[in-house]
Amino acid sequence: MPKPELRRVQLYRNFLLVVMSCLIVINTGGCARLPYTTTLVHEDLLVEVKLQQEVTSAGYTHPARLTAEEVASILKGFSLRPQKNVPVRWFGEEAPPKPVFREDEILTLSSWLAAGLLAANAEERVHFALFAPGMNPSNERDVTAGWVAIREPYFYITVEYFHAQVPLRKSDQYDYNYPTPPPLGGSYLLYFEPGRFWLSDPNGERGLEYRKFLTTAPLRRTGSP
Amino acid sequence: MGGARGCMHRITDRQGNRCCRKLIMVPVRIMLACAGILFLVWSAGSSIASAAESGRLVEKGGAYVFVESMDPATRLLLERAAKQGIITQEEYAQVVKESEARAQLLSPSFKAWYDRGFNLSMNDNDFFLKIRFRSQMRFTQRFRNEAWRNPGDAKNFPELLGVFGDYRANRSEGNASSFNLRRVRLYFMGHLFSPDFRYYIQTRAETAENAQAPGSLALLDWNITSTHVPWLNAQVGQYKVFYNRTQINSTASMQFAERALVQDAFTASGLDRRDIGITIMNDEEVYPFNYYFGIFNGSGPSFNRIGGFTSEQPTEGCPGGATSGNPYPSPAGCPSSQRNLNANVRFDIDRLMYTARLNWNIAGRPGYGEGDMAYSETPQVAVGGGYSYNPAVNTSANSSYIGTDLANLNFRRQLAAFGNGRVLGWGVVDFSSWATDAVVKYRGFSLQGEVYFKNIIRHDKGLPCMKDGCSATAPGFLGNQTGWYVQSGYYLIPRKLEVAGRYAYWDPDTRAADDLVKEIDLSLNWFLNGNYDHSIMVTYSNVQMGTGGYAIGRSAPLPPGSGSVPLDARGGTLIENLIRVQYQIFF
Repeated sequence: MPKPELRRVQLYRNFLLVVMSCLIVINTGGCARLPYTTTLVHEDLLVEVKLQQEVTSAGYTHPARLTAEEVASILKGFSLRPQKNVPVRWFGEEAPPKPVFREDEILTLSSWLAAGLLAANAEERVHFALFAPGMNPSNERDVTAGWVAIREPYFYITVEYFHAQVPLRKSDQYDYNYPTPPPLGGSYLLYFEPGRFWLSDPNGERGLEYRKFLTTAPLRRTGSP
Repeated sequence: MGGARGCMHRITDRQGNRCCRKLIMVPVRIMLACAGILFLVWSAGSSIASAAESGRLVEKGGAYVFVESMDPATRLLLERAAKQGIITQEEYAQVVKESEARAQLLSPSFKAWYDRGFNLSMNDNDFFLKIRFRSQMRFTQRFRNEAWRNPGDAKNFPELLGVFGDYRANRSEGNASSFNLRRVRLYFMGHLFSPDFRYYIQTRAETAENAQAPGSLALLDWNITSTHVPWLNAQVGQYKVFYNRTQINSTASMQFAERALVQDAFTASGLDRRDIGITIMNDEEVYPFNYYFGIFNGSGPSFNRIGGFTSEQPTEGCPGGATSGNPYPSPAGCPSSQRNLNANVRFDIDRLMYTARLNWNIAGRPGYGEGDMAYSETPQVAVGGGYSYNPAVNTSANSSYIGTDLANLNFRRQLAAFGNGRVLGWGVVDFSSWATDAVVKYRGFSLQGEVYFKNIIRHDKGLPCMKDGCSATAPGFLGNQTGWYVQSGYYLIPRKLEVAGRYAYWDPDTRAADDLVKEIDLSLNWFLNGNYDHSIMVTYSNVQMGTGGYAIGRSAPLPPGSGSVPLDARGGTLIENLIRVQYQIFF
């Protein structure tokens, strides 16, 4: 090989090796950027509640003491509809909001959410997931999931999945070894009835003034943890 | 010694031994085949009862909702009626039951929906069909150095032309810009009789970047899998052999637009990543320690050994293929060439390929997809290793000239396509291949690597003859093959944006000098939907390929009929810089 070409090859190689080394250093020094699970509060075939550590300071007012009946009353008031992407949002049909939780789901979930809010600390949120058989029960399950947190005087809720079909396995059981990561969380517009308690907090986030609401709401019967 | 001649002698000399082995091996193989088939038949007969539901999930507006069988208005009226005493509680219960039974009878016996493919299922879930389509559309900008113009690559990826499969060097000018449908796949998959009896069909209609003919529709996979017994799953048909991490992984879930060259060179069979056969294994989602034991034809996809012919003169035991005179050195007593281009005899057709793989998920279950797409909350660590023994691969002999005996053109084309072109012309060889791998994934970071070794055992022990009377031979023996790669990636935006790097090293002939292949890749990957199904990749690759070493029919001394100037008369290192921009959609 001519010498200039050899030098060029060596230059290429050295440059790329340096880039790769940098990449590995960046990779190994990387840190978490998504909330991660710290405590599993409860898990069975129908429901899972766990605590997740926030990656940036959240300043929640946990632990928070709420009864299961109070949580049930809160959950009953929420409804949602999927938020369409632009430009579909401008032209798409506006679907009427649907209740986030069915009666049986509220019965199953509320007591464990109350337990989670009591166990969480100021940097943890309470993640929940409700399970039902999927369209193909051997391959996926129907999941409604999200998380709740309290920063006085607001109760926050985010819905990630609303009856989403989530694979049961980490890899496809038909397309062998093709990974099936769970779908990304959807984007939903949340509503609460009565709407006067569903407000924007000083940071512009939507939250429920739950203490005020609970003083007006009839308490609901729930299951027990 | 020519490969064909050696083959004749071996059969004659070792006839007794082979008969003994046959006597033992044939019943064993028949028993294995029968056991596999019986297992599948038994599996197919089993079924799982599914519970009846008084409603069903329906997709509406992009979400799934559970709809009860009874109309809510009817239910309300009935409840009021029961409450006010117009009907009794027994009547209420009876009419609700009858209403649900009526709804059940009137509802269709199947459901259809879209979820990562078009899905069709019978309500009892005894039959399920998923239809998917995948395409990788790519633009490639290629820059090659002067060495690609001359000598080009005649050794690792030679081109085989015509029915004789004459060797040609792959040469080109420096710059190339091309659009390419790199992968076009149609899938039919699902289960029959029960969710534990699965089928999988994959077809392809694509064109490789350097293909010399347009792509056409072809069957890529067809297999049936029984998962009735979690520790004893069985897969039968044509599929990718469970041997090493890279080849088990789908091209849909890679960190780079293309595999590294070394990854393709070390497949289980040495010919192709796919083969026809049977594998028993356990369920890797259930057990942390996994095994895969397989038996295959060892002749690549949609092909078997009986289709792989070689040439013999009308006189039994005399290798054919010479255009004039005998191939040299020819067995004593063989007449001069009686016919040309015989291609009339099958040897080594009782051989099969045997593979084994073990995998230990030390922590979590990283699976085979590249990169930590799932953003693992806990470390996912696995190590594994595979072994494959593929005997009697006929690479064609150097007798007379390279292509004349027409031996196993399909075998030879596969060898050349996967970068094993240096093996061509060395007669019948056994591949004994090893692979070890390891992978780590954690919070968006991934690191994986593999080490390969392929022991190439020639059946003919002498140096191949290149002139009449064996007055000239190849300068040395063919070596083994070894290689490795390591790759790492990190999600800058979890599940969305990944940057990845890879270094790959490949020694295609351990006895040759200046033949190393080194590759560096960098890739920026954008996964639009947070999964592998919809992505845009920009991959930069730098490939350096040595042209040293001896390759039969391409290097001096050349066998007769291969021309007077070797294809590697001028040496050099082939350097290629590539930028691939690839869009993948899998729906």
